[in-house]
Amino acid sequence: MTLDRRMFLKSSLASAAAATWWLKAPTLAQAKGTLGLIRRTERPLNYESVRSTFTTRITPLDRFYLRNHFDIPAIDVGKWRLNVHGLVEKPLSLSLAELERMPQVTVEAVLQCAGNGRSLFSPSVPGVQWRYGAMGNAQWTGVRFRDVLALAGPKKDASFIQLQGAERPTMSTTPPFIRAIPLEKALHPDTLLALKMNGKPLAANRGQPLRVVPPGWVGDDWVRSLVDVEVRADEPDAFYYNPGYRFPLNPGAPGAPIPGDQMKPMTKVNVKSLLGSLSDGDRLRPGAHELVGVAFSGEAGIDRVDLSFDGGETWTAAKLDGPSTPYGFRVFRHLWKPEAGSYQIACRATDTNGATQPEVGVWNPGGYLNNAIDRVQVEVQA
Amino acid sequence: MTRFLFLAGALLAVAAWAAGTTPPATDATNALLDGQFPDDPVRPLVQAECLLCHSGEYVTQQRLTEGQWQKTVDKMRKFGSPANDEEAKAMVAYFARYWTPDLPPLRPVLAGAPKGSAPRK
Repeated sequence: MTLDRRMFLKSSLASAAAATWWLKAPTLAQAKGTLGLIRRTERPLNYESVRSTFTTRITPLDRFYLRNHFDIPAIDVGKWRLNVHGLVEKPLSLSLAELERMPQVTVEAVLQCAGNGRSLFSPSVPGVQWRYGAMGNAQWTGVRFRDVLALAGPKKDASFIQLQGAERPTMSTTPPFIRAIPLEKALHPDTLLALKMNGKPLAANRGQPLRVVPPGWVGDDWVRSLVDVEVRADEPDAFYYNPGYRFPLNPGAPGAPIPGDQMKPMTKVNVKSLLGSLSDGDRLRPGAHELVGVAFSGEAGIDRVDLSFDGGETWTAAKLDGPSTPYGFRVFRHLWKPEAGSYQIACRATDTNGATQPEVGVWNPGGYLNNAIDRVQVEVQA
Repeated sequence: MTRFLFLAGALLAVAAWAAGTTPPATDATNALLDGQFPDDPVRPLVQAECLLCHSGEYVTQQRLTEGQWQKTVDKMRKFGSPANDEEAKAMVAYFARYWTPDLPPLRPVLAGAPKGSAPRK
């Protein structure tokens, strides 16, 4: 050991300086305005929202997370076409103008990355290490997918709709991003081919000019910059459909491998809630504080959100802003009047089907669908 | 000396705990938590054979066992990384040496909405 007392003192002072800086650094919850995202990867773009985003029903566009497998495609919107083919009576090649002339519908729905919360699983799994913010709620406007399919006329054997966007991998050997949804979901009156997000035409990195919106379902099916729709009798043989984006039929012990034939595609998101108004490490004064957050579930409304301030011993129902919607965020509020002390605030949502959040998310090899009860540690100091 | 270091370390840990932070990291750990790649003969290979398709955070945010790194490198070679057997072996060893399950998470980088976020007119 070569470290002497003098060196030790020097390094301790440097450490103390670093610790002081760390204490003074603003918490992520306080990030405002243009710095509303956390960069997870620069290429391709994968950014998540900061926790403080989640205090409103609709997530603002400039704070909405971004998730990409590949570089953003360059699209000439004037030349862009949506091709519909496969098991159809009449193959289609539709322009944006043709789609804009069809009846337009607006659906409010949460878009959440399958891997939101992945970094909170133990043991850790590979992938973009999302924490809380790979989700957001928007108003999506566009044509009903079933109206487009009706123009093509699916044949009687049609069962699956294969989806592919304009994005392409850098290397020809990398599998393209191809997904599929059951015909039944595509024909649901709330499933859209969206042209707008929160009233604005889709931006380049939001999937211009058109993306799939299967409300209530996990983000991997919300294919961006859609160009190719193939109506099929069977499921596609495509990496991002199988083995990609699959969840165990019967989850095993954390870390245990699961055979491929024991995995199935994800569909609905599971019930979840997140406290938005406070973040880990925040310090407050005793007195009244309004706690605000959001809750949602896939294809179900939110029935209640309960809060605990004592490690889950006792729970108090939060007030819910109304009305409940089948796919969107429901904002919850609670006027909290703490005395000085150290608190773990936990929030737990229950949906209109009675599903609720577990203590620990169900571990799976992809790190998907982590909906563990949300917990935030704060200090109340006089 | 060992006893002195142990006591000093314990004191620092207690001070950090009292301040509500984790114990201060070493310079080498700090560099890893800031997303840097430690100097190593493998580093240029990573630059040439991994960062063709994606940025470095795809590596530096992972916290994996050697077995998980092996599977990841195998997958990337199937996807098109030009690494040969020898290079892949060296990469797995390099990744498994630094980006381990017990390394704390990468420090978050706050950012604004990136280019391409503006709605189409």
